[in-house]
This record gives sequence, C-alpha cells and structure tokens, in this order.
Amino acid sequence: MRKMFKRFIAVALAGMLLASSGCSGGAGNGAAAYKSTFMQTIETLNPYLLTGNYSFVANTIDGLVENDRYGQYVPSLAQSWTSNDDDSVWTFKLREGLKWVNDLGQQTRYPVTAHDFVEALRYVSDPAVGAKNFSTIRSVISGLSDYYFALDDIDSGDDTTRTREDVYPTFDTDVGVKAIDDYTLEYTLSGSTPYFLSYLVIELFLPLNKAFLDTVGESYGTAKDKLLYNGGYYISDWDRDKQVIMTQNPYYWDKEHITVKTLEYQKVADEVTGLELFQRGEITSATLTAEQFTALKGTDWEKNIYLSEKSPLTYWFTFNYHSDNPEFAAMLQNVNFRKAILYAMDRVTLSALWEPENPAFFTRNTIIPEETMYNSKGVDYTDQPNLKPFKDQIPYDPAKAKDFMLKAIEESVDPDGTIRGVTPGYVDMLPVTDFNVDGKLPIDLVFVCTQDELEIKKSLLFREMMISALGSENINVILGYSVNSFSEEVFEPMNFDLVDDSYSFRFADPSANLARITTDGSMNEGGYDVPEYDALVERALAATDIDQRYELFSEAEKYMLENVYLMPYLTGGGSYNMTHEVPFTTPQGAFGLSKYKMKGAIIQDTPITAAEYSQRKEELEKEKASMLG
Amino acid sequence: MIKYILRRAAQSLATICLVIFAVFMLLRMMPKSGYFTREDYINMDEGMRESYLRSLGVLDPPLVQFKDFIGKLFHGDLGRSITVYPKTPVLDILKEKIPYSAAFGLAAEILSMTVGMAMGLVMSREKGRWPDRLGTAYAVGVRAVPSLVYLFLIQIWVSKQLKLPLLYYGNRPNSWILPLVSMALSSIAWYAIWLRRFMVDEENKEYIQFARVKGFSKKYITKHHIWRNALVPIAIGLPSDFLLIVSGSLVIENLYSIPGTGGLLVEAIKRMDNNLVQALVMLYATLSVLGVFLGDLLVVLVDPRIKLSGKEA
Repeated sequence: MRKMFKRFIAVALAGMLLASSGCSGGAGNGAAAYKSTFMQTIETLNPYLLTGNYSFVANTIDGLVENDRYGQYVPSLAQSWTSNDDDSVWTFKLREGLKWVNDLGQQTRYPVTAHDFVEALRYVSDPAVGAKNFSTIRSVISGLSDYYFALDDIDSGDDTTRTREDVYPTFDTDVGVKAIDDYTLEYTLSGSTPYFLSYLVIELFLPLNKAFLDTVGESYGTAKDKLLYNGGYYISDWDRDKQVIMTQNPYYWDKEHITVKTLEYQKVADEVTGLELFQRGEITSATLTAEQFTALKGTDWEKNIYLSEKSPLTYWFTFNYHSDNPEFAAMLQNVNFRKAILYAMDRVTLSALWEPENPAFFTRNTIIPEETMYNSKGVDYTDQPNLKPFKDQIPYDPAKAKDFMLKAIEESVDPDGTIRGVTPGYVDMLPVTDFNVDGKLPIDLVFVCTQDELEIKKSLLFREMMISALGSENINVILGYSVNSFSEEVFEPMNFDLVDDSYSFRFADPSANLARITTDGSMNEGGYDVPEYDALVERALAATDIDQRYELFSEAEKYMLENVYLMPYLTGGGSYNMTHEVPFTTPQGAFGLSKYKMKGAIIQDTPITAAEYSQRKEELEKEKASMLG
Repeated sequence: MIKYILRRAAQSLATICLVIFAVFMLLRMMPKSGYFTREDYINMDEGMRESYLRSLGVLDPPLVQFKDFIGKLFHGDLGRSITVYPKTPVLDILKEKIPYSAAFGLAAEILSMTVGMAMGLVMSREKGRWPDRLGTAYAVGVRAVPSLVYLFLIQIWVSKQLKLPLLYYGNRPNSWILPLVSMALSSIAWYAIWLRRFMVDEENKEYIQFARVKGFSKKYITKHHIWRNALVPIAIGLPSDFLLIVSGSLVIENLYSIPGTGGLLVEAIKRMDNNLVQALVMLYATLSVLGVFLGDLLVVLVDPRIKLSGKEA
C-alpha cells in the first residue's frame, strides 16, 4: 500500500516537474566514473555466498575464462586450455606473475596460482561454509559431491565412525581438481562435459587464496579488507547499505581494456529515487518500472527509454500433485484438465503487467530458454523439430480450453456433477486459505502468490481468464496470498494448487534444468510422478554427442510440455532502462558473471536513445553472424 | 533513595533477562523454512537445505543454543549475523549503523525540543490569538496528513526547489538538512501541543490565581510556577526518547539512504536472523527499561515534591 501510494505520488510529481522545468537532459558523465544504484542490500562480499548483487564480485575477481561482447568464451586468468577426447579432463594454463591486490589497490605478497582454484573448491565444498549454490556444481566435478556429504554426515551425526580430520585429506586424493604446478590446473569431471566452460564463469569457480583466508577466517568477505582482488577493479569503499565504490586495479592483467576509472553504486529505496537521480544528471543509468515508463510516455525522456534483453530465467506454473484440496487433486490426474488450464491462460496479458510495451516478446513457452545453446549446425536448442512448434505457438485459445475442460469433465465427473473419488470436506491451507469442498462442480482451484501489487493483479487476471474461458459452472478459482515468507507459508506446507515462480538456468546444457525436474528432481515442486520423462532424461544424459544429446533432451522436454506437467510462460529480464552507457560494449553471456563486467564500457555525455540501442543491437548481431559464419 | 535504585535495577535486570529468553525461544519455534528466501528454497534440494540449516547452527536443541549464546555473551561476543549479512559479526554491524541513527536522532530530538517547546510557550502565552491558531493548524496538519505524503513531497519537490541533494551524503552537510527537518516535523508538533496544553492547564489552577492576586508579575509566574509544573509530564518521557534514538527511523532513513539501524530489526525478523534479532532486542529492551528508570529519576529532579520511596514520604 505504502509503495503503491508512493508510486502514485512519484508519477504525479514526475509529470509536474517535467511540466515546470522542461527536461534538463542528463549532465555529462565523463568516462571517469560509472554511477548507478542498487536496491537490494549487499549482504556480503564473499563471492561464494552471494545470491544476487553479482556486479561487485564480477568486476573485482576474475576466474579462468570470461565472455567477450559476443558471448564467446575467451581467456581470463587462464591463458589457454585443452580437454581430453571425451571432454572429461580439462587442463588450464594460467597467466604467470599475477598477484592479489588489497582494498587499497596495493599488490599483496599473495600470488594468483592454480592452488587458489583448488582452495576455492575446497572452501565451497565444506558444508559449514553454507554456499547456497553448491548444488549447481557438485555433480560436475568428480568426487566433489561425495566429499561434501561425507563432511555433512559427520556434522549431522549420521557418521560417527570418522571425524572431519579424517575426511579432509580425501579432498586431495578423491576430488577432481589438481594443481599440477603453480600455473597448471586440471579438473577431472564426473563424465563427458563439453559445456564445462559455462560452469567456469559461475562464482563458485572463482579463485581463493588460502594463506589470506587463514588470516581472516570466518570473516572472509564480510568487509572490503577481508577480501582480495584480482579483477579489473578493487573495492575501495564499502559503506554498508549506502554505497560501494570500485576503483581501477593498477595491476590488472587486462588493464588496457578497463575504460572506466571508478564504478560507484549507491543504495536507493526504490526506482522512484533512481529515476529522479538520473533526471538530475547524478547517475549514469537507471532502471524504470512499467508505471514510470507509462508516466514518461509523451515526454522528452521517452526516446531515451529502451528495453533491456530477455534473460535465461524462466517463469513457470507448478501444479500441486499432492494437494489437500481433493477436487483439484482428483482433476489434476486428467491431462485434459491440465490442458484446459494451459489454453485458458492468456500469458500475453499477464506479461503486459510487467512489459506493457511488447508483452508477447517476453513470453516463453519452453522450459529451456532460447539463445543459450546451439548444436553443431548452429541450430538453437529450442528450434529443434521437437520444440519449435511449442516455441512458436503461444498456447492461448479459450475455445480449445473449453473443449478440453468438457472432455475432462466427461471423463472424471459423474453426470450429476459429482467429481469421482472426492469426499466432501474441509480443506485447511492456513495461513493461506481454508474452505469447504462439496465434491461437485465447479472444481475449486487455489492460486497463491505474494501480496506484491503486481502479483495481486496477476492473480485477479488469472481468475478472470479461467472463469471466462472455462465457465464459472466448471471452475472456481480461490485466491490466496502469503503474508511473510513464501517458502514457509506456501512451498513447504504445499499450501497451493497452482503457483508460479522463476527458475534460473545456470550452465550450458539442457540437463541444468531438465534433470532437476524429474520425479526425484529438486525442482519438482509439485511432486508429480512421471517415469516416462525420467527415462527420457536418463537416456539423454547418457548421450555424449552434442547433436544427439540435444535431440534426446528436446524429446524429454516435449513430453513434459505436451502433457502439461508444468507450464512455462514468461522470461526474466527485459526491464526499462535509461543510460549514458553505450550498449553492447561490455561482455555478454547467458551464464555466470561475465555479463556484469564493465570491461570496455563507454560512457557518453547524452543519454542513449532507444533508436541507438536497436541500431547497436543490429550491428552486434551482424558482427556475430559474420564471425560465426 | 539508594535502596530504591538498587531494587529498581534488580527488577530491570530480571525484565531484560526474561525478554531475551522469551525472544530467543520464540525465534527457535519458528518454522525452519523461514531461513530461506523464496529463491534459495526452490533452488536447493532437501539435503542441501538441511546442511545449510546446520551451517547456520539452528539445528541444535534451543537450550544448547541458548547456553552457547550466554557463554559467548559473557565474552562480549554477540555472534555473527546468519541471513541478513551472512557471517558478519553483529557487533561490527551495530558499530557501523548506530552512529548514523544516533547522530540524526539526537540532532532531530534537540531540534524538535527547542523549536517545539518554544512554539508551545508562545502558543500558551498567545492563547486564542493567531500564533496559537497557526501553531495548532501546524500540529493538526502534521498529525492528520499521512506522513508519507509530506515526507515524499519534501524529498522530491522541496529538494528540487532548494537545490538540495536527493539523498544523504556523509561529506555534503547540505544533504543533512532535509532528513533532519523531516524527522523533527512531527515531534515538534508533539512538544508544542502538549507543552501548550499543560501550561494552559496549570494556568487555570487556583495556586496560580492566588499568585496573581498576590501581585507576582506574569513573567515570574510563568517561569517559576507554570513552566516547572508543566514540564513534569514531558520530562518523564525524555530519557526514553533520547536513548531510543539508536533504533533509527524506518521511513526517513530509507528515503534518504541513511545507512542507520531503522528497519534493521524488522528485516532481521523477516529473514529470521536470530543472532541479529537477539542483539537488537537486548539493546532496545535494555534502553527502554533504562529510559523508564531515568524518567522516574528525572521527575524527582524537576519536581522535588515527588518522592520515590514510601518511607521518605
């Protein structure tokens, strides 16, 4: 409410101010500094514990490889690399003579060596450290998962025969990472992994100096002097919840490509303040909400607003296959019921809540994002015959939805309107909702989201869509909202029939997500049981030839989509922005940290126009095409 | 008097201990999934969640955790934040944040006291005339209009008109003005309206009329009788007001990006950062109890007729 109200004033004021002062245009921001804002608290600078605010780590610590502005993997701390025939052993040659830098920009006595990469892995594979993203990497490196769970079993008391001290040495013998000498690093992987490079841009693979770690202990990364830097910048100032200033590292190996002297981020309460700072010429770039964008339409600023790219993050709907609501639980077993919901949902309209300008562009109908992986012939994974029909066709068709619904009712509901196998009773989904079911049509469906303003709008729209397409005599949508913690009130007790959430895509193989939504998969929130799909994934995982692997995975994905076990519907990314930074001059990459790097950034005096943005994008596409062609 | 102080101190200590224990146990009774953000939760599988909780140290029995907590407390160790600022010592966080809130709070308190009391004095002296009406209008206005409306207007519009910075910057004193004024606005009204009320109340009492009949000047009566008596109800809250400035201002700190303690407790509770919640509750509970205690002592100083222990009376 407070936020809503504030936005309202902000929009009104923005209009007022523009009218009164006539827009003054952005003041010049030389290449000396890039200034921006952040809203989410920077919890820590410890790279391995991060779950957001990646720019600070991406610009201050380099890993083995990075992406260039075309998204290709190029050398960073590794100068070159080779892999064996089946891509299961990778050897990296590191740059020599580099030293870690401290928060004063001085070189320390600690060199950057292959050992730092070994130590980093040792650090994150200790459960006591609490690296939340560890599951992303644990199965790729041979022996890593076993080491982690050996320690975990000791901590939990499940294993009383050994102590932690007994297990520590096994890291050097059993885990597939080895410093052959100071500048040669070798990873032994669990199996053939041609996409291993896409892992190496993930923060968990960044190096860590053991000697320094020993001096700071548990406080590693909790302050700017409790961390060492080897990237283009070092953190020269960190005022908790106020600002972060990164200053150019004078000893950086790729110094000539660091074009901006300092990167300065300050905390603001919300987008309203960010936009105001931008309009007053105090910051280089700002992100806008859809409402701010609407408010600025028709003003001189409009031409400067561009829409940033889609991200590989995918939003999908999850059905609860173990719902306490017997009506929904009974109907969900019927594939036609699931299809009815799929075809009744108008994802373009839902997308417009966030992206009023081009809502269809931000819909996604596949589980795996497009433009992230290409087979040997350069065909996008999602453009394979199995998936192309899904990708191209937005499944919204109220008439078809109604047909499916009638079919489902015919199959699962008695002529007198009694849903088969349902005992009437009381459904307790508190604190979200509670209600009585009569076991008759209409079918009750509980849709749950947070109390965010747009989320509430989304839930209301969703209900409207269901009722208008399927008929209120057939479906009754009950809306529920979490008050505080979504995981505590909704996910853990499974207090929902339908929820949607976003799922990141962390490395360049379909298994990154497809292998996690199997029956036992960690992302199978709804608890479905689909052995057919599991078998398809199993088969795909065994394939080592990329083309075959992609084809098999696409078959598995097709099975999932055809039977509507879950419903992908939106992409992440795509925010409205204004900036003085020339677009597409910095590294781009679907995965990991490279996309946050400011290497090569060019800041111009006037804000970029949307036209310039599209032109630059086109140029980049052309360059990319000619490079690949 | 000494005896009274000792007894009160013992009572206060017991209260604080009880609060700490209750909060400690209540935190441990919350569902474990509250330690995860929504993203964390869906991105981790059951085994990872379990081991993450263990790394936070929240899987031990609550009483064992409490024993550890007390043990560390005696060594001046408040533990480390677990979810809001992972692994950062709580003491460091407080050391960084309290100075901001304390400085702004203190300045705002002094500003509102001086301006508010001066206003109250003028209003009571000019009762019924335009300065009084103006003051009342201000007080009613500030209290009736939702504070976000004018706070936001000040930040966006006034800052533009006066060419003042939109946010707080440590090295730009002109950026301190707006947050300071914003913080003081409503407590100025509070001081003004209550002081006026108490003074008008006293003015109508018989002893004042008696003093007037005796021929004392209006100025003398105001200074020696009315003012002192009117101050008593205000004085009792002063120590608390001053001590609790360390808790910061949620809205204003947020608006102007002042990195103080405002909102820290709320955030810590939301993210279930046990160690941070405990430290803050301990701090605020101690200061509140101390504030009430000092308030009682201050009243004695202001009004010698008030005695704290039965015997002396």
